[in-house]
Amino acid sequence: MSRVEYSLRPENPPVPEFPEKATFDVVVIGGGPNGLIAAAYLAKAGLKTLVVERRHEIGGGLATEETLFPGYYTNPHAIYHLMVDYIPVLKDFNLTQHGLSFVKPNAQSAMLFEDGKSLLLCTQNEDSKDSIAKFSPSDARKYGQLIRKWTRLVDDVLAPGTYLPPMSPIDMIEALGRGESGQEALRLTEMSPMEIIEENFDSDELRALLLYMSCMWGLNPRDSGLGFLVPLLVVRGVNKAQCYGGSHKLAGSLSREIHQAGGFVLDNAQVDRVLIEDGHVTGIVCQDGREIQATVVLSSLPPPQTFGKLVDEAHVPKDLMDTANKWEWDPWSFFTLSVATDEMPTYSCDDPWVNDALMVILGFNSYDQVASHFDSIIAGNVSTMGGHSTIETRYDPTLPRIKDHHVGFLQCHVPSKVEGGWEKKRKELGSALLNRWRDYASNLSEDHILRQSVEDPVDIETRLASMVNGSIKHGDYNPLQMGVFRPHESCVGGRTPIEGLYLCGASAYPGGLIIGGPGYIAANTVVEDLDVNKWWEMPKFVEKYRENYLT
Amino acid sequence: MHDERFDIVVVGGGHNGSTIAAYLAKCGLSVCVLEERSECGGGQENTEARPGFRIDPHATYLYGAAAPGFEQLELAKYGFRMVYYESMAGLATLDGVAANLGGRFNREVGLESLRRFTGTEPVDAEGIFMASMGDDGMRDLLRALFWTPPFPSDYEVEPKDAPWWKVFRQLLPQFWTDRLVDMSFIDFLDEFVPWEPLRAFEAFAAWYCGAHPSWDGMMLPSLGGTLLVGFGSGSPRGGMHTYAHAIIRSAIANGARIITNAQVGEIIVKDGRAVGVQLNDEASFPEKTIWANKAVISAVDVKQTFLKLVGKSHMDASFVQKVKDVSLKGGSLFVLSVICRELPKYHGNSDFFPDSVYPSCVAAPVDSMEFFHTQTRDAYSSKKAPELTPEHLTMMICTHDVYDRTRCPEGYHVLSPIYLEVPPPQYDVTGPEGINRHKDEITKAALELLKRLAPNMSGDNIVDVFLNTPYDSEFRNAGMSGGNWYGARQSEDQWFGSRPIPELGRYKTPIEGLYLCNHTSHPGGLCLMAVPYNLMHILIEDGIANPGNWWYPSPWYMPDTKAIKGASK
Repeated sequence: MSRVEYSLRPENPPVPEFPEKATFDVVVIGGGPNGLIAAAYLAKAGLKTLVVERRHEIGGGLATEETLFPGYYTNPHAIYHLMVDYIPVLKDFNLTQHGLSFVKPNAQSAMLFEDGKSLLLCTQNEDSKDSIAKFSPSDARKYGQLIRKWTRLVDDVLAPGTYLPPMSPIDMIEALGRGESGQEALRLTEMSPMEIIEENFDSDELRALLLYMSCMWGLNPRDSGLGFLVPLLVVRGVNKAQCYGGSHKLAGSLSREIHQAGGFVLDNAQVDRVLIEDGHVTGIVCQDGREIQATVVLSSLPPPQTFGKLVDEAHVPKDLMDTANKWEWDPWSFFTLSVATDEMPTYSCDDPWVNDALMVILGFNSYDQVASHFDSIIAGNVSTMGGHSTIETRYDPTLPRIKDHHVGFLQCHVPSKVEGGWEKKRKELGSALLNRWRDYASNLSEDHILRQSVEDPVDIETRLASMVNGSIKHGDYNPLQMGVFRPHESCVGGRTPIEGLYLCGASAYPGGLIIGGPGYIAANTVVEDLDVNKWWEMPKFVEKYRENYLT
Repeated sequence: MHDERFDIVVVGGGHNGSTIAAYLAKCGLSVCVLEERSECGGGQENTEARPGFRIDPHATYLYGAAAPGFEQLELAKYGFRMVYYESMAGLATLDGVAANLGGRFNREVGLESLRRFTGTEPVDAEGIFMASMGDDGMRDLLRALFWTPPFPSDYEVEPKDAPWWKVFRQLLPQFWTDRLVDMSFIDFLDEFVPWEPLRAFEAFAAWYCGAHPSWDGMMLPSLGGTLLVGFGSGSPRGGMHTYAHAIIRSAIANGARIITNAQVGEIIVKDGRAVGVQLNDEASFPEKTIWANKAVISAVDVKQTFLKLVGKSHMDASFVQKVKDVSLKGGSLFVLSVICRELPKYHGNSDFFPDSVYPSCVAAPVDSMEFFHTQTRDAYSSKKAPELTPEHLTMMICTHDVYDRTRCPEGYHVLSPIYLEVPPPQYDVTGPEGINRHKDEITKAALELLKRLAPNMSGDNIVDVFLNTPYDSEFRNAGMSGGNWYGARQSEDQWFGSRPIPELGRYKTPIEGLYLCNHTSHPGGLCLMAVPYNLMHILIEDGIANPGNWWYPSPWYMPDTKAIKGASK
């Protein structure tokens, strides 16, 4: 007999339920970081806003889950918050009132080498230089100068650009040509990560670490066209912050803002389709039949899910539909081994300070190895060479429910699919990685490991359905899917060719990684289109960029 | 961080803490909830130990369907939705009986399978009462039992005139005898339910619903527990945590501030009055002080409230000893969650368990009352882990995903929770972590038993197993003392005005401005929104809360005339 879904509807239900039909001004599909950000701005602008989330918990990649059940929580997706110094939502809302707090330690990114040497990059430039000087005093000098230059580049151009709609390539070249930072961004764009790193540094160790930091989230080391991301990822890579109490707290805090402002969140509700009448959005229907009328619908789902599935293909212009059909997912995914221990895993190397680093990269011994690591993953191979690790309790002791216990992970890049399927491969890869980790942290012995778990690309997609094939960014970063082309040039600023439908997810400009751009940009567009009270002001750094480059 | 000041500070954002926050915020008070974990909800919790597979480590059914809170706090508006079950329960025995008991909304299924096994027209306790009382009667009876604040201590009342007996007499005069008042639920079952497996099932069901059926004088509270779950006949859509979301969102929308990762280290008492709290050094705001103008409400259990958060200097030795002696027996659960590809096919009789009416919970094995008594002795009479033979391990095997496909991916099922009652960790002579040393063997025995009951529960059909012992539950959920669903034993000595101790029976404490709002107060656990509803009466009495027209009190509420400050209402 077939399974019955929500079939039983008693005549006199004992408790009242959320109505079968409701009307809102705005519906946001997907309660991930961008959906919540957009909703928070719009709710506070006085629009009656509803966030509809498929999972039982909002947050998307802002997940803090009990992956080491029972009692040990981890951040299985976002943990390194790169843009907390810029992300407008943190300034426009008083999120600290909900207990939100980001910890940005000085010791940031380290690399361990088999000979016991280590390289540590810090938020404080001189500390980074001290460590680089072990390998190359001249690179230390160059690094110091380059970070100053790249920080300006981030401040002047790259960070502000994250929170404004994209420009066409021609407009972009014209605009950025107006200033020194802009010109440098344009120059770097045409270079590959490897070319940029090789242009600046000689030390093999420093090159290895910087290449890993530049490409770890999905840039191809040998491809040009997105080189401007290298300074962003390096500068922000030494300014990462961890969310105290878990990344989910950011989601929880945003949800509280939404409700304080009169908005709502309906979780555990999957959207079946977007309703369109006469070319204009009129609402959504959930899979359980609930119908929500709305003037505006924002989708944070990637193009192949928004166009053709939620929105009937008949309403989608052909070129946009082609893009959705040919959407390229991330070039690789992630495999994470998490452990709970009764002792903090400790690395033995020439500088004990490395143990304070928020992220420790291990398993690679040379620049060439890092490059060939990415080559090999892109070619579809599984590598057990190494990855990046974080002891999450180093800066957040609240994650385990037992005091002085620890949780940490080693995460590595993997192709999204493997022969025979992940179900077969996961165990073997998990234990190979644990052995690899132990090469560096000897106290990760059986007697100290209380629990362990692995998550493969299938798990990523199972948890977060927008991350198809484990694509944490909702789609590849390549020149044809970036800038004004993310996801398509007919969708600038989140507007789509369908009236009332907006895009606000990581597949929209500027992209993923909890930078908060797509949700913020979409909120700006919607208040403009609906002509409602825009209660927030443009951040100063964005204002400055507009003055210098856009006028 | 600078100090902050609110009218009300609630310690603990579990079910009771967030509900009282919603109530008081709706009264226009400034309310702050301090939750030590990163997520509120306490026992109203779902967790994806494996991505996409949602398990229920604690609460699992909607027991609270009769709660005024649904209306008063407008939970529907904040997203509350249900999944009602075609069949609530089934039972299975070792010798091949597998009866589907159906549910309130589909009684025929149950009657049909019972007729087959018993050969006569079946008789079951809830069935008798539910049919005779009707929806409104059942709601009245449940509200008298659970949603009524205990009477002032100087108010004398005959046991038979307790609110629930008054309602019972009115609704079911044909069943009334004076003897009922002194009965245990088992006494009652012996008299009314002839078929032994069904009797054992009902005994187990009552046990898992709050009050152990052998506790004297508790026949009706015991039965009431099963009526609570029967009245709701389902679970919140997606799991209990979505119920918590609705409550928390109601609180926030009404202006309450919810601060997570805010572990309270101390309830500050000055001149005999609770004036605020101080966070501990692991909080997001380490050691911050938060002041309370009107009241501090402790939504953590009575033992931690007085033995940890309030300095002992504010109490006398007699009081401290009474708090120490609050019994934790009565609900310490060993919880298994099994991910499988096929639902259990109970041997011999799976024809009563088609997917469309698969029982959301199966109690097994319930061959005889002896099984029940054996397991009770294991849990209460000695301080060691239970015996690991099938006669000692009756399990409640819950499966919600049959009716709620949001709980796991297609092609899988999640049996969660599978409950087994075990001794409270605190009573283990080898120390509270003792039960964890038996984790593997208990799990193995439980899985062996499951296989014996349903032979397909073996090999590749079992994909993953997760478990939490009561000791684990206690450290996961600091308010869940003893890993006990109900916080403290729900026996007559700890019920109504005597819960947790007579001195604290009306949620008030020897410390002025400090109130209790946790399942260690009447009427106990089960996420009923009942402790906060009852407490509201007291806070109104004390002039702290002044609700609008949305509020209605319990019809059996007995005011403490000496205490009323806001008496004009």
